[in-house]
Amino acid sequence: MSVLFLALPLAILLGGAALIACVRCIRSGQYDDLETPGVRMLIEDKEVEPRL
Amino acid sequence: MSTPESVIADRPGPGLAAVSAPVSGLAGENRGSGNPPAEISQPAAATQPAETQPCIHCGLPTLCDVGTPPERVFCCAGCLGAYQLIHGWGLEDFYALRDQMNLTGAAQAAAKANRYDQFDQPEFLGPSTPVQLGDGTCRTEFAIHGLHCGACAWLIENAAAREPGLLSARVKMSDHTIRFIFDPAITQLSHIARLLDRLGYGLAPIDPNRDDQFQRENRRLLAQIAYAGFFAANAMWIAIALYAGEYSGVEDQYRYFLGLVGTALGAAAVVGPGRTFFVGALASLRTRTPHMDLPLALALSVGTVVGTSNAILGHGHIYFDSLAALVFLLLIGRWIQFRQQQRAARSVDLMLRITPRHATLVSGEDDAGESHRTVLVDTLRPGDVIHVAAGEHVPADGQVVRGQSNMDRSLLTGESLPVPVHMGESVAAGTINLTAPVDVQVTATGRDSRIGRVMQSVEAAATEKIPIVQLADRLGGIFVVTVTCLALATFAFWSQWSLAEATANATALLIVACPCALALATPLAIAVGLGRAAKSNILIRDGQALQQLAKPGVLWFDKTGTLTEGKQRVTTLHGSQDGLRLAASIEASCRHPVAQSIVFEAERRRLTLPSGAILDRVSSGGVLGTVDQSQVCVGNLQHMQQQRIGLTDDWRHRFDQLAAAGESPILIAVDGQVLTLLGLSDPLRPDAQQMVEELKQRGWTLGMLSGDHPGIVLRVADALGLPRQRCFGAMSPEDKLATIRQSRQAGRSVVMIGDGANDAAALAAADVGIALRGGAEVSLQAAPVFIASGRLASLLTLLRGATSTTRLLILTFSLSLAYNLVAVGLAMSGWVSPLAAAILMPLSSVSVLGLTLAWRSFGEKPH
Repeated sequence: MSVLFLALPLAILLGGAALIACVRCIRSGQYDDLETPGVRMLIEDKEVEPRL
Repeated sequence: MSTPESVIADRPGPGLAAVSAPVSGLAGENRGSGNPPAEISQPAAATQPAETQPCIHCGLPTLCDVGTPPERVFCCAGCLGAYQLIHGWGLEDFYALRDQMNLTGAAQAAAKANRYDQFDQPEFLGPSTPVQLGDGTCRTEFAIHGLHCGACAWLIENAAAREPGLLSARVKMSDHTIRFIFDPAITQLSHIARLLDRLGYGLAPIDPNRDDQFQRENRRLLAQIAYAGFFAANAMWIAIALYAGEYSGVEDQYRYFLGLVGTALGAAAVVGPGRTFFVGALASLRTRTPHMDLPLALALSVGTVVGTSNAILGHGHIYFDSLAALVFLLLIGRWIQFRQQQRAARSVDLMLRITPRHATLVSGEDDAGESHRTVLVDTLRPGDVIHVAAGEHVPADGQVVRGQSNMDRSLLTGESLPVPVHMGESVAAGTINLTAPVDVQVTATGRDSRIGRVMQSVEAAATEKIPIVQLADRLGGIFVVTVTCLALATFAFWSQWSLAEATANATALLIVACPCALALATPLAIAVGLGRAAKSNILIRDGQALQQLAKPGVLWFDKTGTLTEGKQRVTTLHGSQDGLRLAASIEASCRHPVAQSIVFEAERRRLTLPSGAILDRVSSGGVLGTVDQSQVCVGNLQHMQQQRIGLTDDWRHRFDQLAAAGESPILIAVDGQVLTLLGLSDPLRPDAQQMVEELKQRGWTLGMLSGDHPGIVLRVADALGLPRQRCFGAMSPEDKLATIRQSRQAGRSVVMIGDGANDAAALAAADVGIALRGGAEVSLQAAPVFIASGRLASLLTLLRGATSTTRLLILTFSLSLAYNLVAVGLAMSGWVSPLAAAILMPLSSVSVLGLTLAWRSFGEKPH
């Protein structure tokens, strides 16, 4: 059972990493618009000719 | 009677003029249902059983028999077929959606073809001026209106992908902006703007004073929810391990360790994201106004202190899981309310964004010819000469230096009749130039102009308003006192036996009595109320308005454009209908409101206009023209006298009678003989009568504040059954403000409904200001509630919704109070176990949530 002393802080650290990632996403504005991205994937990509 | 909203914007000109009150079709219906005061002799509908109603499918004005139900009006077989098909598929929502689009549909009509050229001028673009990217492409950002849902974004981005030269278009639904990357060598912004307009979306440059506060606040709240969610979820699984350990047995060292970690998480939730409640509680203590944050902060602080000491000492209950979950849930509730309020505020901002912020500057005034240049209104200086085309808004105060015209000042002063202006006379910003182009020398702009001064008094009136204490917050105050007393009593009672037991029980009481469900219920109920109101086209920017509208108080109406249509219509006809026919044929090309009402009346009576009419001369009092070799003269009395046309005693008598009744008499003479006398007035809105009746029944005290002539005001008052002693005419904006302030002293909630700039200060000073669609920009900014449908019937929907939302609040209060009572009883008797607390608290929150979401606050069926 003593593995708990190691596993618990580790799990919280892992979760904390996810939390930091999530907050970074929020701060960078990825959650500002909850409607458009859902339909954007339905749009065909435009074929972009490589620019020289 | 319900009327489908028509799609027609029938005032000329760009910007606000085009968004204002598209209510054609209602005038005809008026005669079928209401009893407008003006019908003294020969009601207009009696001679010809016809009226104009919008086609239910496409909105085209269609002549039909009086009394035709609006859902049976079709302009052609095609529309009938389409309507039946849509109904057959059960897609009636299409019409609701389409009517919402009218808000912006009118804006597109305003964006006339030549306006697009401005999209290539940096003066017009302002902050939206394209930025050069390294590879020869440009990037820019615009405000876009007409967006409804994700599908609109899909359409725009998809269409953009097919446009050569437009490399990318990205729509942002959250703040209604679009970002383009385009190749200036291949395409131009004016071309892109035209393309989007064809799809039904309008572009406008971004407001230079754009406020990013919403975005910042939204991100801050979301981040807080993320932190609180992390702490709550982790605290919860540790708590589950502990509860399981209680039954299966757990070694002390592990329990101690789990308790410590859990407490650390709970404390982090309280100190981090939960800090906002302590800030609120402190503010509430400092201002000595009760607030819901107060009991929350009490429970959180006691729970944290006792929980932490228990965790360190290793015995007793530790409350961290409840605390973290509490913070998490409450933050979510607040975020939802924040979003709903912002949504309404944003819709109003979009309305404001489509008003023109540019003017046509006349430069190079020498004989060599002058050039017209579009500039932003902000860059105008006193002394500049600007050109104001017919149908445009005057962008700044000034003096007419060339031309003469008629001005519609109704938005500024409430006058229903246009005022003639000549060389040297002054015009005010915000008025509409009706008949002919004029050049104006600017004397004052922005804050110095008359409308700017009105704005300043609006700001002043808004700041002096004391915020009301919400029902939830009042209860919060009582809560703190009661719960603290009970906790003290519990502590005193149990301390007879053991101090530890007493502390444990008092703390348990404080925590289970925490009004979590209560604090969650208010923002949710308000958010749901705002959301449902928005579906009925009522935008509420301030949730407090709902509570103040729930109980009957004092209600003041503006007249022009609120109770009446704000447009002249022919309401009386004496003499031959033939005169009307001839007059309409020569006036057909005129933009003056009198001319338009004559043409409208002729169309309504299905008169066939003779062709080949020539408009010979237009002066400020009337027009002169030729039809079928006879000379037709239309105008007021002075105009007739100028043309040496005399009136017989009979005509003179009828003329005086009409003028005494408050109508504007217009004479039509053919070959020097008066043939017809028309009475023009501003008819009541068709639903005004019914609404006044119902408001009276609900116990509201009604009154009217108008800038119009007192005689006309009293006439409208009599027609609607408003008490004469509470109806005031010739009120300046300052008078209106003073009246509102005075009636606020009586203690009942004061509501003002208006649409003009002259109402703006009164709207801001009232407890609840309600602006109607089609109103002036300033009145939209001043009022916390905006009826976007422009229908007076929406006012009743709003009041019903407000009452219902308040009822929901009280119901959820009682429910969560009942839970709290049970929990407090258990805690006082020392029976509450950590498990019972952990189950009771979410249970009360969930039931309150369920009730709120299932509640029908704004009757989903508006009829």
